[in-house]
Amino acid sequence: MNLKIDRFRQLTATWLALVALTLVGLGLGEWFRDGRWLPLLVAAIIWLKGALVARHFIESHIAHPFIARLLQGFIAIAPAALILTAFFGDTLARWATL
Amino acid sequence: MVAAILHSPPEIPVENGRHIPGNKGIWVGITCEFVEFVVLFAVYFIARAHFPDAFHEGAQRLSVVAGTVITLLMVTSSFFIACSVNAIRLGRHRAAVAWLVAGLVVALGYPLAKFLEISWNLAHGIDGSSGIFFTVYYYLTFNHLVHATWGILGILWVLARLLFHGYTAEDHSGLEALASYWHATDIIWLIIFPLFYVLA
Repeated sequence: MNLKIDRFRQLTATWLALVALTLVGLGLGEWFRDGRWLPLLVAAIIWLKGALVARHFIESHIAHPFIARLLQGFIAIAPAALILTAFFGDTLARWATL
Repeated sequence: MVAAILHSPPEIPVENGRHIPGNKGIWVGITCEFVEFVVLFAVYFIARAHFPDAFHEGAQRLSVVAGTVITLLMVTSSFFIACSVNAIRLGRHRAAVAWLVAGLVVALGYPLAKFLEISWNLAHGIDGSSGIFFTVYYYLTFNHLVHATWGILGILWVLARLLFHGYTAEDHSGLEALASYWHATDIIWLIIFPLFYVLA
């Protein structure tokens, strides 16, 4: 693997994408506040932003398999839980009741 | 985390032909950090499932501006620190220092923004006893602030070493370890932000 290539443009594009996704997410939250599918969009944006940071800032695609899987797993957990809570909240609450 | 940066090996560690960003020690720390936040996220989602109305109404009372500013500070400082790693790999020492200083300055905006946010919250009657949503909000966001503070201390240490040419194009695993920790802390905030400020 060659780590000595200038990645400035790629890093800048990633940063701009993260800023844009943050603002888009805010806009969606405002415009579709009562939309039943809003959690789906928010979950997708969370996953996408996490994946961008992992791949382009941490370089998970060339990292040790444990690190790559750790990042993939962590980034997927919250979006999956958000979708479960949004669409199966009552069931989750029942399961999580002592 | 500081120990992992202090005891960084002299060369970029590679195992099974794959790159280890920073060193093994920092990834033990990051794994522990992820486990801690998975537990905290579990608390968030279980509380949200039990009290959906409290979470719907609570998010509308928070300052979206504060949450957005912190998000932009986190992604921007992450970008600057990634640029510092990029510069040192290319042997551009002065550029690496400049990017890391920029990353530090922007990162310092986070505790400042959080202080202003908490002041705003208290002025609007929002404290830890304002309901389940705010209890979870304070617990999760304060925890994140603690982790970010460790990161800022790490930036200071790495910057001191960088200023004295402690890192070179061939040996910069300490800087990479710091960058990995900061990016991981950034990922955690990118999850926290929509859960509390966007899903109103």
